[in-house]
Amino acid sequence: MKVFDHYTPHSLPEALDLLSRQNGQTHVIAGGSDLLIKMKKGLIAPAAIINIKRLPELKGISYSAESGLHLGALTTLGELSRSPVIQEHYPCLTQTTSLMASRQIRNFATVGGNLCNASPSADTAPPLIAYGATVHLMGTTGERNLPLEDFFLGPGQNALLPGELLCYINVPPPDGETLYIKHVPRAYMDISVVGVCARLKLLDNQCQLARIVLGAVAPTPVRARQAEAALSGQPLTSELIDQVARLTAQESRPIDDTGGSAWYRRRMVEVGTRRCLHRILNFG
Amino acid sequence: MKKPITLTVNGDMHELYVDTRRTLLDLLRNEVGLLGAHRGCDEGECGACTVHVDGLPMNSCLRLAADLDGSEILTIEGVAQNGQMHPLQRAFVEKGGIQCGFCTPGFVMSALALLEENPHPTEPELRAALSGNLCRCTGFVKIVEAVMSAAEQLTMSNE
Amino acid sequence: MSNEPLKTQNRKSKIVNPKSLIGQRIPKLDAPDKAMGRMTYGHDVRLPGMLHGRILYSRYPHARILNIDVSRAEQLSGVKAILTAADNPPTKFGYGKDNTPFKADIIRSLRDEVAGVVATDPDIAEEALSLIEVEYEPLPPIFTTDEALAPGAPLIHLEHGSNLFTTYNYNHGDIGVGETESDVVVEASYKLPYVNAAAMETCVVVAQFDPRGHLTLWSITQIPFLLQRDLSEALNIPGSQIRIIQTAIGGAFGRSLDIYPFEPIAALMSRKTGQPVRVAFSRQEEFMAGPARQPCRIAVRAGARRDGKLTFRDVSAILDIGAYVSWGSVTPLVMIETAASLYEVPHVRYKADCIYTNNLVTGAVRGYGNPQSTFFTETIMDQLAEALEMDQAAFRILNANRPNTETPQGLIITSCGLKECLEAVAAAADRGMDSTGVEEQGSREAREQRPGGYGLTMDSPTVKRGIGFASTLNVGGGARIYRSDGCGAIVKVDDFGHVTLISGSSEIGQGSETVLAQIVADVLGLQVSDITVLNSDTDVKPWDVGVHASRTTFIAGNAAHQAALQVRAQIFETAAEMLKVKPEQLVARNGQIEVAAENNPKSIDLGKVIRSRHYREGGQVIIGEGWYDPPTKLVDKDTYKGNISATYGFGSQMAEVEVDIETGIVRVLRLACANDVGRAINPMAVEGQIEGGAQMGLGYALSEELIVKEGQVMNPDFRLYRLFTAADMPHIESYLIETDDPEGPFGAKGVGEMGGTPTAAAVANAIYDAVGIRLTELPMTPERVLAALDKKYGRGY
Repeated sequence: MKVFDHYTPHSLPEALDLLSRQNGQTHVIAGGSDLLIKMKKGLIAPAAIINIKRLPELKGISYSAESGLHLGALTTLGELSRSPVIQEHYPCLTQTTSLMASRQIRNFATVGGNLCNASPSADTAPPLIAYGATVHLMGTTGERNLPLEDFFLGPGQNALLPGELLCYINVPPPDGETLYIKHVPRAYMDISVVGVCARLKLLDNQCQLARIVLGAVAPTPVRARQAEAALSGQPLTSELIDQVARLTAQESRPIDDTGGSAWYRRRMVEVGTRRCLHRILNFG
Repeated sequence: MKKPITLTVNGDMHELYVDTRRTLLDLLRNEVGLLGAHRGCDEGECGACTVHVDGLPMNSCLRLAADLDGSEILTIEGVAQNGQMHPLQRAFVEKGGIQCGFCTPGFVMSALALLEENPHPTEPELRAALSGNLCRCTGFVKIVEAVMSAAEQLTMSNE
Repeated sequence: MSNEPLKTQNRKSKIVNPKSLIGQRIPKLDAPDKAMGRMTYGHDVRLPGMLHGRILYSRYPHARILNIDVSRAEQLSGVKAILTAADNPPTKFGYGKDNTPFKADIIRSLRDEVAGVVATDPDIAEEALSLIEVEYEPLPPIFTTDEALAPGAPLIHLEHGSNLFTTYNYNHGDIGVGETESDVVVEASYKLPYVNAAAMETCVVVAQFDPRGHLTLWSITQIPFLLQRDLSEALNIPGSQIRIIQTAIGGAFGRSLDIYPFEPIAALMSRKTGQPVRVAFSRQEEFMAGPARQPCRIAVRAGARRDGKLTFRDVSAILDIGAYVSWGSVTPLVMIETAASLYEVPHVRYKADCIYTNNLVTGAVRGYGNPQSTFFTETIMDQLAEALEMDQAAFRILNANRPNTETPQGLIITSCGLKECLEAVAAAADRGMDSTGVEEQGSREAREQRPGGYGLTMDSPTVKRGIGFASTLNVGGGARIYRSDGCGAIVKVDDFGHVTLISGSSEIGQGSETVLAQIVADVLGLQVSDITVLNSDTDVKPWDVGVHASRTTFIAGNAAHQAALQVRAQIFETAAEMLKVKPEQLVARNGQIEVAAENNPKSIDLGKVIRSRHYREGGQVIIGEGWYDPPTKLVDKDTYKGNISATYGFGSQMAEVEVDIETGIVRVLRLACANDVGRAINPMAVEGQIEGGAQMGLGYALSEELIVKEGQVMNPDFRLYRLFTAADMPHIESYLIETDDPEGPFGAKGVGEMGGTPTAAAVANAIYDAVGIRLTELPMTPERVLAALDKKYGRGY
């Protein structure tokens, strides 16, 4: 690795100030599980690293029935997977985080880091997008909220402006059933070949709300909007599920890479969508 | 750049002046001089470098030492008490859970953390918890047997 | 010292101690140190003044080096030396005598070593690498064996005259006759991948020259004495000036079965700087520059009679051996063994072309050709049984090798439990999952806890189950691929009755040290804790060819046994005097020497006997020696016939799989492994070897593949080179079959490689049973399975 300066601010204003004075050769480190690998491989060589793990404003999980979930960006995947609050209100997040990487990595990798790393296969993204999450970004010039699905611009590219930090994630009160399927060749330890998240709200078997979010099959996590439209307001039948699964596959834009072929990924989107929807139908 | 940090390792305080590029694994193996944590891949995939940081098992190869000022670290060298093996270590020995031994410290640290959190894991829970530790010698069979046996022993000795 | 086979009688008659250590599940001697993190592995060696060496690899797979400019790198503070081919000794090394430490002039693969940097710390060495400027003239690269053999193809080794390194041709019987005798004939074509041994410790070496100019290497080698000789050649210094000290080894699996350039490079670095130098591979280097299993394409035809008896096998193989030849290029020889001798086949023809390309260097990976040959042999067997409409297990039993027979290849099979192994796994198949209680544990629950695509319940219509069988034949008593297959041993006993066994063999994690201690302790009536085993220094231990071919328990065991018997004879001589009886009346038991037949036996403490023998005029200390080189033949270099090993091990496996027909994911639920091990001196260690082998076999079957494109490894990390983790493993059932080998120590045979050789075939056969597709390309990834399902059934399966 190339040499770098290292700072540990103790408050958000201090961190933002540091960030604003660097010239773009700076990286923020939360858990570091993605950053350190890139640095070791020489893909990134920052001149300075800002350790944001001490910022109290980025910590904490709290929930209320009115406003939903406030999730600090520094929440580790392990904390997420063990949180009773998350298990009760957003069980899909509990289930998803327990499938990611390894126990060891989950103990220091953060949800904020996973989102900012903006890998097309980031597993926290599809469930959070399906839940309707927004991200709260802060910089020295102000703060703003962004729907999570607009936070991803491309592989490894997020919508943070220079000097901005992702501070927390807001998730509306839960509504409907959400399920995430992480398709991988091994039980654990694999980056998703395909990720499919479905959220349905059913009333008398009619679909009042549908969200289908895909990971690893496009430059960013994407919503399958045509498939969602096909579900909306419709009675949920086996035939509709099959149709929606095919539509979702058509909407996905996977590529061939060392992790998997495009044709296989597209097929897994169809299979994954179908299974996801059936599961919600049968066990929801 | 170098930074001063203080780490407590196996109960001993170390005041160190570290290159910011150093990971916790580098620090343990070089400056602190504990060679039990092993470098298997340096990318957080094999678990051979697993140690406890503030009570939680982590890949020491992916933690920047400069980030850990004030942390408490437990390594394999701190598991035995007064030269006596921990029941978990003894179980690894007695059940044949060790062949070349390179992965062993990492497995012991992972299993120790699991048993502290969940004293009665089922086999699937155990296998899931250990999926971040690779072994090429044992096929994991006797590692799993060792940990399940240690779990029983630890429960009995607590009753 | 006698080389005569130890007779069964002699061995059995001396086990008078009902608490014999033979057959006991004794924990490994070094396990406590390993559990406490106290072993010194290669990466742990720290010498005063030790420097760090790094290697600059080539940027092109095939090129001429026009110029190397090291001036900027040399000026970097902390850099002690830069080496290039100008530092090479004049000799070439390696099995094919085609390799040099640094490459001069011609680059033949992306992992060719162009230059080396030695610096005071690894960061500086890394930086210096990036400052070395190399000018290349790229040459047309050859990435396939077809290209390599095409007319006018550039020669990878000019002096060899051809890109065909060698061809193995083997025949027994007459293929033509075999074909005409057949009532059914089947055929298949196979494509097998690059695989990495993936030991948990990466390659590492520390080299130091002492003031006399003698070299010491702290090494992870499996072949210390051959390495000594090879290094002598590579460095052009006398072998008598080379000492190899083996550190604790974090896995080997054939990876260190040869000399590799990084070893003489470390020595050259040390010589140039006058200080100790460590060269350590990163995991990425391990994948890119370490030796891989040869990829191959194989065409097989086989036939059988209506009554189920095999008639012929016709095998034609093409192996991509990469740019330089190592011992691994002898794998086709081992492949012949299975193709010609697994099951009784009267007519066999086998041809294997070994071809140079600009791809990865290949070498030995556990099984050494056997995983490949067992895959095609046992899937073809499956096809034959199907064509004959015979039960899979019964068909194999009908053709199983039998004890005390000689195969047409000349393998003299003495003990043989293949039939029993097949019966054991067939019975396991019949018993089914429920009765073993596997329903309650292991992978099923894990899957049900996960509602994802991986987590389908058993009764889903998209999941099909199947069962498959495969057997293996492996050398079990050494393998004479080198002129000597021997191992020496020295046993000494001190005044207090503490025993030291100095064995030529090496402990690479497989547990051989403990088994040898059991043998010696058993002979001398002691506990394993009374034995110290020394086996890591070529200056101290007697010669041994190395750890390979599952030979250590058998050969080193016999040598240790001999030495222990000599020691016992000396002890009995003196004890007999002291007790006033004849030596034949004595027995060693519980640290005492006793008169055997008595009810209240006269006895004397072992230590007393030894001190009495020592402290007297004309006294002697207790030292015994053993040397065992099995009564085998170097394989005939033209016919490849002859008895290559003193005995053969056999094993069978049954795989029960679940195939998800919508995703192509294959889960192995259960693997039953039965192995004829002769005698399990330490059943826990034997099981450990089988279980570890199975993990490798499963990876070979389903998930492990080095993806190489244009000579480059695309997945040099554990993220995309997928090993089975604890959560992927099936439930493993182990059955140890003991046939009491006449030549092995206490009847034991070698088992080190058998755990993983039949697994891929068993899984492939099980997939066929489940969904009717025969996969002939490994690994059988979900994509390949799904593509095959689509092809056979269309998307509407």
